[in-house]
Amino acid sequence: MKRRDFLINSSLASGMLFVPSFVRAFENIPKKLIGHKKLVVIQLSGGNDGLNTVVPYRNDLYYKNRPNISIPKSEILNLNGELGLPPSMSSFKNLYDQGYVSIINNVGYPNPVRSHFRSADIWQTASDANEYKSSGWLGNYLDAYNQEAHMAIDVDNKLSLALKGKDISGIAAFDPKLLYRNANDPFFKKVIDHHMDEHLSEENLGYLYKQMIQAESSASYIFNKSKTYQSKADYPKNAFGKQLNTTASFINSHLETKVYYVSMGGFDTHFAEINRHKRLMNILSEGLEVFVNDLKQNDTFKDTLIMVFSEFGRRVEENGSNGTDHGAANNLFLITENLKKPGIYNNHPNLADLDSNGDLKYEIDFRQVYATVLEKWLEADPKKILGQNFDHLTFI
Amino acid sequence: MNKKHLIHLYNRVGFGILPKDLDELSRFSLDENIQHLLKKSKPITPLVVNTSTLQEIIALKNTDEKKRMLQKENRRLLADLNSEWYHQLNHSTELLRDKMTLFWANHFVCAENDILQTQQYLLVLKKNALGNFRDFVLEISKNPMMNKYLNNKQNKKEHPNENYARELMELFTLGNGHYTEKDIKESARAFTGWSSNKTKFVFRKNIHDFGTKTFLGKTGKFDGTDIIDIILEQPQCALFISEKIYKEFVNPTPNAKHITQMAKVFRKNYNISELMEFVLTADWFYEDKNINVKIKSPVELLVGIQKVIPYTFKKDRYFQYLQFNLGQKLLYPPNVAGWPGNKQWIDANTIMLRLKLASTIAQQKEIELEPEVAFEDDFETFNKRKKNKNKLLFTTVDWKEFNQQIKNTNASDWQEVLIGSNLNQNTLDLIKKINTNNIKEFCIALMSLPEYQMC
Repeated sequence: MKRRDFLINSSLASGMLFVPSFVRAFENIPKKLIGHKKLVVIQLSGGNDGLNTVVPYRNDLYYKNRPNISIPKSEILNLNGELGLPPSMSSFKNLYDQGYVSIINNVGYPNPVRSHFRSADIWQTASDANEYKSSGWLGNYLDAYNQEAHMAIDVDNKLSLALKGKDISGIAAFDPKLLYRNANDPFFKKVIDHHMDEHLSEENLGYLYKQMIQAESSASYIFNKSKTYQSKADYPKNAFGKQLNTTASFINSHLETKVYYVSMGGFDTHFAEINRHKRLMNILSEGLEVFVNDLKQNDTFKDTLIMVFSEFGRRVEENGSNGTDHGAANNLFLITENLKKPGIYNNHPNLADLDSNGDLKYEIDFRQVYATVLEKWLEADPKKILGQNFDHLTFI
Repeated sequence: MNKKHLIHLYNRVGFGILPKDLDELSRFSLDENIQHLLKKSKPITPLVVNTSTLQEIIALKNTDEKKRMLQKENRRLLADLNSEWYHQLNHSTELLRDKMTLFWANHFVCAENDILQTQQYLLVLKKNALGNFRDFVLEISKNPMMNKYLNNKQNKKEHPNENYARELMELFTLGNGHYTEKDIKESARAFTGWSSNKTKFVFRKNIHDFGTKTFLGKTGKFDGTDIIDIILEQPQCALFISEKIYKEFVNPTPNAKHITQMAKVFRKNYNISELMEFVLTADWFYEDKNINVKIKSPVELLVGIQKVIPYTFKKDRYFQYLQFNLGQKLLYPPNVAGWPGNKQWIDANTIMLRLKLASTIAQQKEIELEPEVAFEDDFETFNKRKKNKNKLLFTTVDWKEFNQQIKNTNASDWQEVLIGSNLNQNTLDLIKKINTNNIKEFCIALMSLPEYQMC
């Protein structure tokens, strides 16, 4: 169904005979935004230990700094003769071997902050370390192109800051059916039916009404468009697996949504890291492999780019409780079949040149990755969204 | 006093007003009402919880295990304090002070997982909420939790840390663009050695820089107190605070003329109480264009509903989830800039949750909420919380109290106090369709309208 038909149908169905003028404005979206490219962002919350994820297993300094929590050389799944994965990531290795993965090392930002909340905010709002922004980079993307809420879906119950714009924000849709039920609550519908354009012109009250109409229209769109498709793939039985499953069913139902946001927690491994990290990597890798294969089977992987990041890496040296403390620069994964440069993208982490905290120094600003994704994949203007220019990378 | 104005006043300095109080207070003049508010806010009731469990842990020997126990217990007690704060707001007797405390908590923003420091910090806010702004800034600059939060403990002569000096000017007193990077560096030197132990300010003279500094055009052997005094000499400081108060209490869209008037009053002696009195008695405060134009914060919404339908949550944790989902959990500000407020409270998800809130609470219905997940939780805990998130909102409603409140009132009384009188024709048509014989149903319906989201 074309968007225009959908809008007319859904407004008829809800008894709204007139499509309010601001919804009509959405039909003037620049053509190039109606492309098929999808971005899936996966946030690993808590600060993933990048050095035990992509292991510099030929580097003595790695073993010297981590006598108790390093991954033994004999168990490493080799990537390029220098770096390798722990055995818990064999599913991820399958993706790597097919040329679907680009690993970017040493990603971070100047004056790194080691607080979870603050650093996660910096990543989500693409701000400088000493700058406080109240809208996220993906929310800015919606705003810049006057998109509808469902063009960026947080596969969760609460909207992440990354998807919050100044005027337009994405929508959280962990369970499309529930979202639809909420939006179709009889009283809620009645209120929407009783609004008029005059309401919409009032500054803040108008904004509330717009958000209501937006909620109803996006919830209906997501539900109606996705209810016919059910994935048959065997996802891991946990919250992360469920989120990926839902994301795949949205993509395979051909929603026009451009951005999906998924998060997985538990990465704050201050103590007893070995076993905890092993389980995390297992869940992450297995989930990703099933997800990619699910998309491939439906011929949608070719239009999908997955980006996996964490708010910071961890300290090079292990701490006294067989774990690691908060660090700085970290690796980041890009997964798609359209890579210009699959494999290890740049220099290996330099364990001999750490900052005063004993953390890895950054080489690539995370906003260079964003700028590249925005321009080369989403065909959007990075300057407009990030507020400043960043050098592009060449992974896609 | 005009009832419409009285409702507006109580929407802004409180959490709405009930018909019986409206009748009572409208017999007094505007000035009498303001004096009444100020007088009622004279006392200072501290916000505290029982911390004896924590003291037991503190007495243990230092181990990693103790560290974890302390973290956990602090988290639990902060949740208690959060509930206690709500309890105090729901039954507030020092209305203006309590509302100002919320304002300052979102101005001098600070947070740590430490119950003792948090209680102490809240007391600083409460005590100074209507006091002298200079004393306030000075006390905040010496507050142990703030010292920690903005790293002034690490601010040493050999290695200055600029974090506090920067936020003091950018967020607390002047606003961006009214000082240079050099001013930040110089003032950071003045604050070196302003440190603290757990709950006490300590001046560490061996790490203080006693040298000469040049700050905002003045030169001298300044310390932190001098810096604060120089900042307060700037006309910009009174303007900055006045604008912030205007946006919070009058209208989210600033009016330069009114703000200049406020700043003039404020600069005389930086008395916050006098500034508020000026604002609340100004003609422009009661102009139609300032009435019902602000989007309620989640706190204003939750306490507002509670005043009409007295409810309690069966489990505090669910109440915390609810605050988290609405986007404002007290004691957990997003960062030092605080909650941006107004439009930023609203997205497609929060608006649906907000509009359902009154009926969900009143009908003791279930609601699906996203549980908060602490970073330090392992994946299993994370997964479990996500799985068990269903059907989390269980309330107990005191209908007896409610029935007391609706005695001798009719539907139009409630319509007046809950959503005001300046309504759109379509909204009026919608209200006409609601059964007005049942006041309970009627109130719930009114609180489910977008108009109720405004104040």
